[in-house]
Amino acid sequence: MPAVVVGVICWTRAGYPWSDQFVGSSIQEKGVAVSRLSSVSEFVEFRQRIQDDKKLQYDKPTLVVCAGTGGQASGSNDILRIIKRYILDRSLQTKVGLRVTGCQGFCEMDPFILVEPGRHLYPKLKMEDVPRVIEAAVGGFVDESLVYRDPHDKRQYHDQDEIPFFKKQKRTILGDNQRLDPIRIVNYIELDGYAATEKVFSNIDPDWIIEEIKKSGLRGRGGAGFQTGKKWELARASGNGAEQKYIVCNADEGDPGAYMDRSLLEGNPHAIIEGLLIGGIAIGATQGYIYVRSEYPVAIKHAIIALRQARDLGLLGTNILGAGVDFDIKIVRGAGAFVCGEETALIRSVEGFTGEPRQRPPYPIEKGIGGHPTCINNVETLANVPVIIKNGGEAYSRIGVPENTGTKIFSLVGKIQNTGLVEVPLGIKISEVVYDIGGGAPGGGKIKAVQTGGPSGGCIPARMFDLPIDYDSLVKAGSIMGSGGMIVMYEDTCMVDDAKYFMRFLKDESCGKCFTCRKGTQRMYEILDDVSKGEATMEDLDLLEELAHVVRDTSMCGLGQSAPNPVLSTLRYFREEYERHIKDKRCDAFVCKDLVGAPCQSACPLGTEAWRYVAHIGRGEYEEAYRVIREPNPFPSVCARVCHHPCEAKCRAGATGGAPVAIRALKRFVTDRIEPSTYKPLRQKWPDGAPPRVAIIGAGPAGLSAAHYLSLKGCKVTIFESEEEPGGMLTCAIPSYRLPREIIEKEIEALLDKNIKLECGVALGRDVEIDGLFEEGYGAVLLAIGAHKSKPLHLENEDLEGVYPSIEFLKAFNLREKQLAKGKVGVIGGGNSAIDAARMAVRLKEVDNVTILYRRTRDEMPAFGEEIEAADQEGIRIETLVTPVRIVGKNGRLAALECVRNELGDADESGRRRPVPIKGTEHVVDLDTLIVAIGEDSGIDAITPAKSSRLDITAWNTVRVNRATMQTNRPGVFAAGDVVRGPNTVVEAIADGKKAAVIIERFLKKEHLLQPVRPSLPEVYVEPVENEAALSAARSETPRAPAEWRKRNFAEVEVTLSQTEAGREALRCLRCDLEFAKGKEEKQNEIESGRQSA
Amino acid sequence: MITLKINGLEVSVEKGTTILEAAQFLGFPIPTLCHMEGLSPYGACRLCVVEIGEGEKTRLVTSCSYPVQEGLVVRTASARVVKARKMILELMLASCPQSKVIQDLAAKHDVRRQRFNQEYEDCILCGLCVRMCEEEMVAKAIGFRGRGEHRSIGTPFDIKSEECRLCGGCIYVCPVCTLRCTYTEPEKAVCGGCANLSPPCVEKNQFDDMMCYMDPCVACEIVKGKQQISEKKETKRKGAERHVSNTVES
Repeated sequence: MPAVVVGVICWTRAGYPWSDQFVGSSIQEKGVAVSRLSSVSEFVEFRQRIQDDKKLQYDKPTLVVCAGTGGQASGSNDILRIIKRYILDRSLQTKVGLRVTGCQGFCEMDPFILVEPGRHLYPKLKMEDVPRVIEAAVGGFVDESLVYRDPHDKRQYHDQDEIPFFKKQKRTILGDNQRLDPIRIVNYIELDGYAATEKVFSNIDPDWIIEEIKKSGLRGRGGAGFQTGKKWELARASGNGAEQKYIVCNADEGDPGAYMDRSLLEGNPHAIIEGLLIGGIAIGATQGYIYVRSEYPVAIKHAIIALRQARDLGLLGTNILGAGVDFDIKIVRGAGAFVCGEETALIRSVEGFTGEPRQRPPYPIEKGIGGHPTCINNVETLANVPVIIKNGGEAYSRIGVPENTGTKIFSLVGKIQNTGLVEVPLGIKISEVVYDIGGGAPGGGKIKAVQTGGPSGGCIPARMFDLPIDYDSLVKAGSIMGSGGMIVMYEDTCMVDDAKYFMRFLKDESCGKCFTCRKGTQRMYEILDDVSKGEATMEDLDLLEELAHVVRDTSMCGLGQSAPNPVLSTLRYFREEYERHIKDKRCDAFVCKDLVGAPCQSACPLGTEAWRYVAHIGRGEYEEAYRVIREPNPFPSVCARVCHHPCEAKCRAGATGGAPVAIRALKRFVTDRIEPSTYKPLRQKWPDGAPPRVAIIGAGPAGLSAAHYLSLKGCKVTIFESEEEPGGMLTCAIPSYRLPREIIEKEIEALLDKNIKLECGVALGRDVEIDGLFEEGYGAVLLAIGAHKSKPLHLENEDLEGVYPSIEFLKAFNLREKQLAKGKVGVIGGGNSAIDAARMAVRLKEVDNVTILYRRTRDEMPAFGEEIEAADQEGIRIETLVTPVRIVGKNGRLAALECVRNELGDADESGRRRPVPIKGTEHVVDLDTLIVAIGEDSGIDAITPAKSSRLDITAWNTVRVNRATMQTNRPGVFAAGDVVRGPNTVVEAIADGKKAAVIIERFLKKEHLLQPVRPSLPEVYVEPVENEAALSAARSETPRAPAEWRKRNFAEVEVTLSQTEAGREALRCLRCDLEFAKGKEEKQNEIESGRQSA
Repeated sequence: MITLKINGLEVSVEKGTTILEAAQFLGFPIPTLCHMEGLSPYGACRLCVVEIGEGEKTRLVTSCSYPVQEGLVVRTASARVVKARKMILELMLASCPQSKVIQDLAAKHDVRRQRFNQEYEDCILCGLCVRMCEEEMVAKAIGFRGRGEHRSIGTPFDIKSEECRLCGGCIYVCPVCTLRCTYTEPEKAVCGGCANLSPPCVEKNQFDDMMCYMDPCVACEIVKGKQQISEKKETKRKGAERHVSNTVES
């Protein structure tokens, strides 16, 4: 007897919600009589009966399932089906209830079940897990394996309200979405719904309503922030007294990324109806409209059901509650034009015409639908009205900050951990919403900016996240509140691309009536498109800005006036990104396709065609692969071991959740089996006269690379090195277990030729001077002295025995085999130098254990992930969120270190969250050795002679150069590598040296130092090997020696790949280059088709 | 009567007057392309913007559609207005470079360069023809279609309208092709755009049936234009052939 079952179980939904029968039946359930209520007292009695009825019922646990549009898209319908079947199969109807609600806001976790009364949240459920949740609910316990865990720290939360996402919110409006079933008016009434109506109808006084709204300070939630009370007052005064007036609920929400209006209409339609009814009475309108877009079918469905229910109960229609008030609401479905959210366009659309704005004044308040006064309010504004009337305007005005009272719902989307709807009091800081509620970027990425107000808004950079969210502050920052979309962007979001995306949207959505809006958005899009393709000039950027201002000034409606906001705000805060696209032809977020080409190639500072040698490895052409590797990089074997492989970080195979191609391991595979002599570099003769002489100071990777490339051009180079052997940081800092000494020696050996003279043991300032070098006849000088001085902690007792700067510690062993560490070792810092020092220390004989102390969290450590992992394996303890405060000495030797614990505070300039010490958490760590590795600079010994040679020095003790030409303030003196950048990677230093060689050549030939750049795109075609299976294979990880064994010696940790592994790995490459470098056949086809069309 | 200040001069006008009418009454020139006496104001071309308000809260509005208000302070040629107008004209030149009217306006406003990608369109969507058809001819044969960059003027589904009486009013008011209708010496025509123009409501082969009050007649012009174009093409083709043969010989 299924029909009976349907009647008994209160949560069953009819399949055809449009049918009258269905709509009527929903009120009858629970045995409450349905007839039109004809007075306020009847209504009060009705509610009392519902509430009494509820009290009589057994208070059984309830499963709450979100079935808003978002929930349904994530699969909540399946979850519901399983729940129903499970309950029916096991006859649990009396033991557990089910409530199907609209959107509850935590969309990231959909589909989820919330179990009341314990409020346990079970997120991201799979169908097979549902029975366990039901059993837990019936049994009254928590299923620990399914209940919510924080994605960052894995902490378990049993109570939904304790979850960080919910904790900082104030869910006055959204909270009801969770408590009620939107298609059940009794649910709404039970929760004191229509209590505001009751209050209004017990003494109908429009002035009182307007007074309360004015007292509350409620401002329009649609974006402009006009005082709602003022608007209603004007609307009330408008017209000749007897005229028809309208009130409209604007639910034409079209911004990409915003969906709070939809969720309100879906999840709590009666609140909107109540708001409209009260508004109608306040302004004297007898007809209301809900203007909702057709793309919101669930919202429309729920609104239709709710309207029917309200009419049946006598809360709408003629003579409402016997008070002689007539008011009814119609639903108007919009066809989905963005511009119809603008009020004058909306009115045209309601009238049945094309939605096009018109000049204001006259304002809709005076002349709206059919020429009659019309008051238009946003969904969220109207949802706030019952709350205000129920609790009083004064109480409401205490929420938020003065001038910006109440709560506002934001839809937090984009690159954020917790996507969803959040309701917060106005005046809250952006950082609180983004980091505390939103949980930061997924995977710990660095957040760059948020775009508020959708396409009409602007972006706010991370460094301004202390800004309070209110109407006026956002406008001042160049954005708007808008309807409340908040799109989070992180480091891999290109701001030019972002502006381009919004401009594309706006150019399509502009109604086209105003010439400036139609053509202006189109032209702005064209210029942005040019920028993203690297085809724009700096003049175009000025034109873009000029045009943006004119479009803002001269457009008729809000759409056109705010359309330039994305452009203007990104230009204001991220101008350097635009310039980078235009001048350097680079997109640092690797988004703009025409500048990026193959990401591995453009990510490499040297421009190595990684895709090309990987393709050659796939084809078994190892010698060819070696040539591709060697041509741009004089240190292939070194880089194959210690490069931080930015190519892998940007590899597209790794972009969508998969693992990137192991490019560095493949490089190692090739360099291990091919002799350097395979590559014969192209040597040139200096064109005219005697070859010029160049002096290079420092024989590190930067100096040696510059020397090599200058030598190929025919210059005579002399390298001066202060240590006894060449190699710079390669030999003195990088431990031999990562980079065996013989590899360095072999590589350097191969580079030195008859054009290069190496003089070791010669230091700048001590043995040579820049002025002296010029006098000796050198045409140019390149400073590549590196950064060999560790920064001090600036704490007392730092000169005690047992405290060493990391460079001193590493050098002592690498160059002189002196072991400085013993006993319990502490390393301060989170960079590569800290990890190197720690891993080195763990290998020393007298060391017992090693601990790394870092002030932020592990996610923020600047060291390479695999290095941290290797340190972990070798038994090194990593303690995060601690800062040293005092060095404790005993008998002139280090004894202990006092530290304080930190917590993460507000974001700093870089967008990372600042560590803030927690008072009272000071504690002492016993130590025998302390290694300080908090960064290096060039140090006074190296930089003083530079200074005395009249070179400009920065505040960070590096040499100041023009970044584009690498020239210092003295013509003919160039600087490259760490002495310019501060401590950096090997590959950057090589790239610097290489670039310096090009620039010095131009300088010596008296050419322009700056020449136009082109994006480096794949040009050579390498025939792909067809192998579908290889694409889905797993990444071949670099084999490593076992941790226990390697801890005891300095032998190389990493092992090379086998031929099969390398071949398989190479075929995993997605070959991004094929989009750019075309095969012969394709080229032929193109030529032919070109001929045909001609 | 409502009193307002335009460029410092006080003027009293009747309620319901637009700023444009008031300014014209005082003799201040305000350029406009989509405004025509007798047709309802529309505010599409944005050329007639003026600055209203005082102090920091000034803004630009289209004078053709903005009704005068008591105490309003208007400036018709402030720096902001001039800058905006020049940019609008530059945008128009970028889209419809052949229009004599736009060329003249641009010259008059000292617009000396056009920095956008050049397009060759024959409509700025000012809507004069649509309003002419609807308000004066009471035909409603043509209207706007599409939105944003796909917006165009035409009949529903591009089917010849039965409402159209072939009056030619739409062509008469068009600012982009006015040249053809008003220029006295057709051979001096610089654009020749008329021949390429598809009148929104009429098929070209029906021009002969049109009741035309214009001098020179549109239909004649079209025929003439066609001939000219084919002649031009012929000479161009010959020129090109000559060029090719020259290069081959050399």
